[in-house]
Amino acid sequence: MSETAAPEVVAPAAPIAPSTPPPTAGTPDAVFLIHGLGGTQYDLGSMHKRLKNAGFVTHSLTLPGHGTAPEDLANVTAEDWIDAVVAKYREIKDQHPRLHVMGMCMGALLAATLAQRERHAKGQLVLLAPPVYIDGWATPWYRGLRPLMYYVPGIGRTMKIEEEDPFGIKNEQLRAIVKAKFERGENFHYRWVPLECIRQVDRLRGFVMKGAQDIRCPTLIVHAREDELTSLRSANFLVEKIGGGRARMVVLEDSYHMVCVDNDREIVAKNVLEFFGAALPGATSSLANEPKMTPEALQAAVAAATQRLAEGDWTGLRDLSIPDLAWVQPGVNRVSGAHAGKTFASFASRIAAGGAPRFTAFGSPTFNRGVALVPATLVAARDDASLESQGALLLAFHGGKLLEARWFADDVDREDAFFGEPDPVAAGPSALETSFEAAIAASKTMKKAPDNDALLALYSLYKQATVGDASGERPGALDMVNRAKYDAWSARKGTAAAEAMQAYVELVGKLRDGEGS
Amino acid sequence: MQPRLRRGESVLSKGSPVQQLLLAVFVAAAYVALASISAAVAYSPADAWTVWLPSGVVFGLLLSLQRARWPVILAGGWVGATIFAVGLGSGPLASAGYGFIEVIACGAAAFFVSRLTTLPARLDSARELVAIILGGALPLALIGAGMATFWHVADGGSTGATTFEIWALSNFLGTLLVAPMVIAWSGMRAKRSGGMPMPVFVAGAVVAVLFLGVMWLLFDRPVEKRIFGSAGPTLTYIPIVFMALVGLLWGTRGATAVAFIGALIAMVNTAQGEGPFAGVPGFTGDPELEVEAYALAIGLTGLLIAVLAAAQRNAVRAAREWKTRFEATIGAHRLLAYDWDPASGRFVVTGDSVQLLGRTPVQLSTLADWLAMVAPEDRERVTAHFDTRARGALDDDVLDYTLTGADGQVVKATDDARPIRDHEGSLHRIAGIVRTATTARSVA
Repeated sequence: MSETAAPEVVAPAAPIAPSTPPPTAGTPDAVFLIHGLGGTQYDLGSMHKRLKNAGFVTHSLTLPGHGTAPEDLANVTAEDWIDAVVAKYREIKDQHPRLHVMGMCMGALLAATLAQRERHAKGQLVLLAPPVYIDGWATPWYRGLRPLMYYVPGIGRTMKIEEEDPFGIKNEQLRAIVKAKFERGENFHYRWVPLECIRQVDRLRGFVMKGAQDIRCPTLIVHAREDELTSLRSANFLVEKIGGGRARMVVLEDSYHMVCVDNDREIVAKNVLEFFGAALPGATSSLANEPKMTPEALQAAVAAATQRLAEGDWTGLRDLSIPDLAWVQPGVNRVSGAHAGKTFASFASRIAAGGAPRFTAFGSPTFNRGVALVPATLVAARDDASLESQGALLLAFHGGKLLEARWFADDVDREDAFFGEPDPVAAGPSALETSFEAAIAASKTMKKAPDNDALLALYSLYKQATVGDASGERPGALDMVNRAKYDAWSARKGTAAAEAMQAYVELVGKLRDGEGS
Repeated sequence: MQPRLRRGESVLSKGSPVQQLLLAVFVAAAYVALASISAAVAYSPADAWTVWLPSGVVFGLLLSLQRARWPVILAGGWVGATIFAVGLGSGPLASAGYGFIEVIACGAAAFFVSRLTTLPARLDSARELVAIILGGALPLALIGAGMATFWHVADGGSTGATTFEIWALSNFLGTLLVAPMVIAWSGMRAKRSGGMPMPVFVAGAVVAVLFLGVMWLLFDRPVEKRIFGSAGPTLTYIPIVFMALVGLLWGTRGATAVAFIGALIAMVNTAQGEGPFAGVPGFTGDPELEVEAYALAIGLTGLLIAVLAAAQRNAVRAAREWKTRFEATIGAHRLLAYDWDPASGRFVVTGDSVQLLGRTPVQLSTLADWLAMVAPEDRERVTAHFDTRARGALDDDVLDYTLTGADGQVVKATDDARPIRDHEGSLHRIAGIVRTATTARSVA
């Protein structure tokens, strides 16, 4: 095998897409995600969601030859993949103030090639497990023979290169799930790819080897030390070629190749979000350094938040926050604990039911970068008791959004006495929430992708159940997909979360039943 | 390369006519090629065939592929055998008859094996290996030898016993060298990753080179220039040690291929009057028989070790799958299981204790560790209850208490414990299932 296969001349990229209007003020930054060989967006785990929750718009594409059957890969060349990625990049790059590019496995090779050829400077570049060298500890002994096989007529299209245990996953529970998905024939990843396809990846590796030094944007390379497909040599090569000043590397110690779904997925997400300068829920320390808000904007944001809290409008607080807003309530009682993301909704309804608590008697806030400390009093009353608890609120902001709120009560015992003993049943998910979570999981394991109408219905019900009524600007006419999604979500305005959850569960059940018939 | 069919998969397809033709041609060509090698390594081609390899390819393919393909394999074997016999100078009728003997012996042997173990064979259990050796290779050799001897005697021949012995021994050895190799390699599939880790492959390669190198040193010497002089013959056990390591590291594919090459080295050189088994004036011995036994020992050693290693890996895999299923099940229910031996104080926690309690099982390896997590207001009561359990006084008890996780989690625990008693009814161990519910996290 030639690890330094001579790069070939690549056909000219696709023509430039019609120019799109420049992004308007307030348009969020975006991330362009590219999946791996034989894969789907599943390769990137929950990165889409994590990025969206952090306020990014995500763009992705299904690479040529993917999403159908492995046989379709036999006629696809590296240039087809590059052209598709370049075309998508050109289509979206002017829609956002900043556009980051991120790829996984072969997607990382494409992302690197894209960054090099398009002289990507509009954002940053993240390369997850880039297989510049196919030399991981579990690559087969005959891997070096494949260049010889490329010359055997007909074999490139007919020879199957299979996915095998450990499927790039170190976590045995996750591996068992992936194995079961393969055995059920689910369409989340090809079970095999044609040899010809590996040849195209080899060519792509050659492009990256030759062009890596031309990457000019800040680059993060995430690689697992125990990657069974490609060793750390690949990451070291890229850091060296791109240059230590622009590229940095994160080495994972408890994952194999599929870094976005394996044991270190949280570390991956955290590093990627930090690298993109994203707002991290609960990360008050990092906010203190980079709030990205003017002092006036910060004061206005504090005023808006305290206004909601003064009204006891707990749910309304989410309008001012990132989706993963974290609220930390002290003590050991029915409402104490850290409530972030989806659990915030449950917390908001629980606390609101506990004597309509609200904050009052706000003092002058003290600011430190993006963090405000506001003296306040928590008051609540019900038939048999009342509460007046003094303390301080810590509100952390970033980019105009509330990330985290912490209540520091002077007398926690008083609050424990008022709110009462923790209730495991109330604190845990309800039967409907459990069914909803199960339905979400089931929706990701369907053998056939639902049609567009069903997908829109699923999306809109999910958003209504987890976020509430649609908010924000309606996407423009050119952004047809997101516009349709927004419209579907918006059409459910006013639907209660429980009702949306129930409808979601029923719809998924119906779709699953349809598969079985 | 087609993925191998799974066991029990009822694929009746024989393949397209073109595929059938290609398979038959492949079998015939392989038969002729291996027969030619057998002729080349024969100690005395006129009357002493050391090894008869081609039966192994027919027999091995019968065991590897689904039964719908047996007719094609047998047809290919018959054509190959007939062609080879014609090439040796036999008449058309005799050649065709010889071909039938081969086909009948191989088909019968494969049928016997199918009665003893599940096909297609995988060489991953000792039972299967024994079935292939005793239920397949041995009957194959005996049936073929019996039919050939009967024909020889009926045709007026007078060396029936010799014919039977040579046929049976060479066929048995050749089948055991080739058939496992065919079975092992027919399951070969190209992979992107997975399978044998590279360090293991490299270690196996080193040992394989050592094996073949030592074989060459031992056998590629004329009798008068034997390496290590008269000690040479006594050192023939050394390659067997390396062969065992090859089997351990490389599995059945590597072991069968390396054993095949090693056996050829031994037999070719012995036939040329070289190596430790070559005749020495004044020393009584049968070089042909000795090298046959030696080749058999090499082949069986590597194969046996590889098969046992495969069985061991399968057992480990099954245990791991069981563990994964069990952990997933109790994890989904937020359960922890503990196994407590009051006599020794051994306390083993199973389940995702890190997620549920913020502590690893190692951090919970004594009852004291467990009780330290119990909330102060419950501790005295729970300690007393465990003391009662330790005396074996409780048969069926459920205890509710509160645990405090490492990061301040407040966990409500419902501890359902049962005593495990010995044959005399004395307390042996206590097995508990703890259902947990996290209620809140204490925030200072």
